[in-house]
Amino acid sequence: MTHDEAWRRLPDLLEDRDDAGLLAHVRACADCQRQLFLLGRVDRMLHERASAGRSTRKRSLVRALLGATAVAAAAAVLLVLFLPPQARTHRFMLRTASGRLVGEAKLAGSDARNISLSLTARSLPVRHGDVFVLWAGDERSSLQVGHFMVDRSGGCRVRFNLPDTHDWRRLWVTEPGRPTHVVART
Amino acid sequence: MTAHRSLGIPSAPPAAATDAALLRAIAAGSEEAFEELRGRYAGAVARVCRTVAGSDREDCEQEVFARIWRKAALFDPARGSPAAWLLTVARRTALNVQSSQRTPLPVERDEDAGLVEAVDVDGFWLDAALARLPERERTVIELAYYDDLSEGEIAKRLRVPLGSVKSWKRRGLNRLAGLLAEEPA
Repeated sequence: MTHDEAWRRLPDLLEDRDDAGLLAHVRACADCQRQLFLLGRVDRMLHERASAGRSTRKRSLVRALLGATAVAAAAAVLLVLFLPPQARTHRFMLRTASGRLVGEAKLAGSDARNISLSLTARSLPVRHGDVFVLWAGDERSSLQVGHFMVDRSGGCRVRFNLPDTHDWRRLWVTEPGRPTHVVART
Repeated sequence: MTAHRSLGIPSAPPAAATDAALLRAIAAGSEEAFEELRGRYAGAVARVCRTVAGSDREDCEQEVFARIWRKAALFDPARGSPAAWLLTVARRTALNVQSSQRTPLPVERDEDAGLVEAVDVDGFWLDAALARLPERERTVIELAYYDDLSEGEIAKRLRVPLGSVKSWKRRGLNRLAGLLAEEPA
């Protein structure tokens, strides 16, 4: 694969369209790695913008419903009760800066106060140790979710609970004691 | 080709200049640079004014760009990105327009950076960056992300081949990443 072809197709890596030839080129190309990093930031910004817009539309809808008749108000309450858990079922892919897929996280409503997070990691880089830290963030804050240990191949399956007080949209993994050293991110 | 020395990038047309270069040129009195910056950020400023100033939106938008014209020399790239500074100006102006009884908030104070969150700056920058894309690339990206449509659904809606949608989306995303690369870290 030529550099120009790889560069053109880099956005495909944002959508799990993994291509061995493309990934092989990216692993060896610093320019493509930087562009992929920038694409990841753009992708996250677009998702955050979209999510903010949907939240605003949802709030407007609920306000409109609450302003109608008592029956409509009851319907609005039902919407408020039942829509959010569906909307909070999310699947995130974790990738290294080079675009390598190293894990998958699923967020699902657990109960009224918690969100269940299940993380399946594979091939996390274990050269600096077998313990990592998982972080979650929303628009305004971040939270250290917890530490987890991987096997020799860098794999693991682990579950956490997150407080259902934020709209968790970003996940990232760092080495313990080095919160700025991001190993993988959504 | 005409040299646009006031933009700090000889031979670069305003459309290719970075936001920081445009602000420098505006500070030096370049109306051409001002019009380019206004074209980029009109939608983003309108969104802030609509959110904060409500019915006074149009006055707010005009006042924001008037302030940018007057205050561009105060932009310091060492203290933040152009988008962060522009968003701060827009927010403060909108707040002043919203409540004319309130003591006006100066836009050049040091604590201005604290008025905006990083996520807000990202969204503000994104609006302006999307405005710089060719229309078909912008449309495809907005349908994909904001309306959550698949590439197949976008192709049907726009009545264009699926391959065109894929191509425009890739090009648009790569172009946005390129614009992001111009931003100070």
